[in-house]
Amino acid sequence: MKAVILAANPSRRLSPFIEHRTKPMIRVAGGPILEYTLKSLHQAGFREILMVVNHEQEGIRAHFGSGDHLNLNLEYVVQESPKGIGNALWTCRSWLENEPFCLVYGDVLTDGNPFIPMLDAYSESGQDLALVTLPASSSEFGNVYLDPEMRISKLVEKPVEVQANYVFAGMFILHSEIFSLLEKNGQSMSGAFQSLIQDSVMKACLWEEGWIDIIYPWHILEANQLLMKSWDEARIDQSVELKGRVQIDGPVVIEEGVRIESGTVLKGPCFIGKNCYIGNNVLIRSHTALGPGSIVGYGCELKNSVVFGASDIGRLSFLGDSVLGENTQLGSGLTTVNHSPDYSPISCQIDGKKVQTGLAKLGAFIGDGVNLGARHTLPPACIIPVGKQIPDNITL
Amino acid sequence: MCGISGIIDQKPVTRNLLTSIANLEYRGYDSCGMAMLNGKGIEVRKNTGGVEEVRSREKLDMMTGNLGIAHTRWATHGGVTTENAHPHLSQNGEFAIVHNGIISNYQKLRERLIGEGLEFRSTTDTEVFVNLVEEAFAQKNDVLGAFLEALKQIQGTYSIVLLSSHDPEHLYCVKQDSPLIIGLGEGCNYIGSDINAFLEHTRKAVVLDDGEFAVISRERYEISDVGKREEREKSILQIDWDTETTKKGGFSHYMIKEIFDEPQTARQALDVPQEQIKQLAEMFQNAPHAYLMGVGTTFFICQMAQYLFSSLSKKYFPAISSDEFNGVVPVSSGELVVAVSQSGETFDTKFSLNVAHEMGAKTAAIVNVMGSSISRMVDHVIMQGSGPEICVVSTKAALAQALLLLRTALELGYKEGCLDSKSFQSHQKELESFPELISILLNEKSGFMRNLARITSSVQNWIFLGCGIYYPVAMESALKMKEVTYLHAEGMPAGFLKHGTLSMIEESVHSLFFVPPPAEVDLHNRTIIAIEEIKTRGGTLVGLYFEGDSQAKSLLDHAVELPPVPSLIAPFVQMILAQMFAYYTALDLKRNIDKPRNLAKSVTVG
Repeated sequence: MKAVILAANPSRRLSPFIEHRTKPMIRVAGGPILEYTLKSLHQAGFREILMVVNHEQEGIRAHFGSGDHLNLNLEYVVQESPKGIGNALWTCRSWLENEPFCLVYGDVLTDGNPFIPMLDAYSESGQDLALVTLPASSSEFGNVYLDPEMRISKLVEKPVEVQANYVFAGMFILHSEIFSLLEKNGQSMSGAFQSLIQDSVMKACLWEEGWIDIIYPWHILEANQLLMKSWDEARIDQSVELKGRVQIDGPVVIEEGVRIESGTVLKGPCFIGKNCYIGNNVLIRSHTALGPGSIVGYGCELKNSVVFGASDIGRLSFLGDSVLGENTQLGSGLTTVNHSPDYSPISCQIDGKKVQTGLAKLGAFIGDGVNLGARHTLPPACIIPVGKQIPDNITL
Repeated sequence: MCGISGIIDQKPVTRNLLTSIANLEYRGYDSCGMAMLNGKGIEVRKNTGGVEEVRSREKLDMMTGNLGIAHTRWATHGGVTTENAHPHLSQNGEFAIVHNGIISNYQKLRERLIGEGLEFRSTTDTEVFVNLVEEAFAQKNDVLGAFLEALKQIQGTYSIVLLSSHDPEHLYCVKQDSPLIIGLGEGCNYIGSDINAFLEHTRKAVVLDDGEFAVISRERYEISDVGKREEREKSILQIDWDTETTKKGGFSHYMIKEIFDEPQTARQALDVPQEQIKQLAEMFQNAPHAYLMGVGTTFFICQMAQYLFSSLSKKYFPAISSDEFNGVVPVSSGELVVAVSQSGETFDTKFSLNVAHEMGAKTAAIVNVMGSSISRMVDHVIMQGSGPEICVVSTKAALAQALLLLRTALELGYKEGCLDSKSFQSHQKELESFPELISILLNEKSGFMRNLARITSSVQNWIFLGCGIYYPVAMESALKMKEVTYLHAEGMPAGFLKHGTLSMIEESVHSLFFVPPPAEVDLHNRTIIAIEEIKTRGGTLVGLYFEGDSQAKSLLDHAVELPPVPSLIAPFVQMILAQMFAYYTALDLKRNIDKPRNLAKSVTVG
């Protein structure tokens, strides 16, 4: 069976991390989201994969190429303009040659491999199938109603009233008939699903393990945690240089070429990418992912944060519950304030709108190429746009 | 639904045949049997009961032969008897078959054969077919020819495997609207209702389509079209999934599958003919004393019924745990004992029923498994028809039992004049809407129950509380919680709390309240008082309440609000959601949900 991954759509709600990359290329727990999806597909037996790309496609092509390093045969098709999911799938129809196929939304992440139970359920019924799950909030997704035979009897796109059904998890096994339904419904994916549910049969496969759809910047932290939670062993490359006394607790992953100076403490689960340098007396706390080529100066503390890579964090800084893009320079003495004075849930300005994060602790979102001078203090849920230059905070 | 299998090999197939029907047991388990061909002809051993039971009773392990067929049955029509169990032998014992499906025109064929002097051993459609094969063989002297000739005469749905002493080199099978699949081994081949029949031995399989038959030897197989008799090329499937998941469809556990089955189970419980309910109601009416008996979940179902009989028919029928029954009930002649048992084999219940019977009491039972001991030993049985329940923890079967007792209480209330025909009708109507209602609730509230479980999955100590009928609901829900999560969960009447247990209350001890609809003024007030008692002592409050209940809403720390439903069915709605809550909590705790540690599905030992 072939698989199609939709990886074309930009999403403004993920700014400042989406300007230089597409969502599936966001790095969590040491790798791009797409890499986890591809590995799961491979493990479930898929070999032929088509990716629908457009926005920032060079990054995907450069990283995955023709899929050789994953033992996959990867091909690409360009969705000319962002006309939605239905249109993205439409571009794949000739490649699929009327065979049943697996459709995957590129921005969802699971803890465990959902393709295996999906294929099991599909082998049994042979009918169109959707993976469904129970997220913390169902309002953003297609809410489904299940009958005792696991058929989807009704689909409510975005419920007006409060309800909490199982929702589409962004992974499907479909027959080529979906294309005639897309045609009938003006290439609307939800229209095609509605037709499928009303006029034919669509089965559901329950996914009860972890699942996340990355919509807002703080979901990057949640996705990172989701993956790291299942880590159960430390893995330290032979080439890693630990200078003097370095304390390592729990599942800590350190890649090749890393150098860590004396007095540093690493608490797992955490990830230190290729060729990073970590100075003396640094505290790296759990659920931190430090992308390749980053430098952490003397006496810093990093907690539950994702650093995409190639960034410098100046001496005596605290980075907590924060996400840092690529090629950023943080001056010394940075402090991210990661809670409100009364520890009440934090809200965030997204696209000019106030969105509740539901989180009591949240730091800063610092875009790619930002240059932040020394001695700054950032408020909770602060967003610093891509490429912003902020001079040192000189007090005299 | 039934499970069938067949194996042809160079070495004895006894053990593999047994495993195959054990693996197919989820398709039905009220009787089973095997037929094997050896030097002495075809030997058949079969009986009522599950595979393990029949295996030890009939010494199935002692059978010998290099080819054989086997069957495990779930009766939907017709009694569960040894005679009706499969395999069925033809009159002269030279042919044996196993069959899944229904031969619709068997009655006519049977009459013809009887007219020709044949004596049937069973009442099944299957025995008719095997005798048609024997009859055709007498003319053709060719097993395949006879098989196809017999097939021409039958209509209906079937998958059949045929074994004949005239041909020790082949098994024959056919598929029409019931599933059948061939497994390809090394020097041996398998047939099964699904791949579970042979998944331990081979992962290569060929799926038969409707209207196809196959002739299978040790080394090869040939599949042809029944009509044209032309051989067909079939593709070989490579199976790479594990045994457990295949039976569950898209569900990750049987428990959640069976919870989602509940709208259907409720429908089936409501479709049990009113005549049977009336008969049970009359038994209650005629008995000087009547007792309700169950153990574990079914005891709490009896306790719920105790409240239902009291409120709807102004009668008090005490509910007693089966294991304690004899110690406390001096049952005497003419009294009534009504037992509830999913498996119909529960040791304590069976034992107490026996004693009651010896004392001259009348007995009745609500049972799920057809042909089970309890269903056969009582004076009146209501089969709840909930289908096989695989998860050790009972969900859908418990709901069906409660609904059947509710129907009986309504009927008795009407007979006794406690309900006029108008309110009887309106209650019936409320019941009618129940399956649809819970189908919507299961869907729309699943996320809330999931999130509630996410918030509370680290809680170690639970107290489940309710008043009136919500008290047994709390007891049953606490039991569910204990069974599947291994956590400490204690159920009790809400009013009981201040008489001791209140001293336990602190922030880490969580209480789960089953809050009745506000329209149930007295019950609701009593529940709110208990909630406030805990609130004042700093305990954490969790609850299920109905829309419009501002008191509960403001007092509870974590709660799920339910839409307004009629008071009659409100406790059942909460019971179902509590099952979901236990399931999702167990999921977060990564418990062995379908087979919790130390527990077995049907407790047949004392």
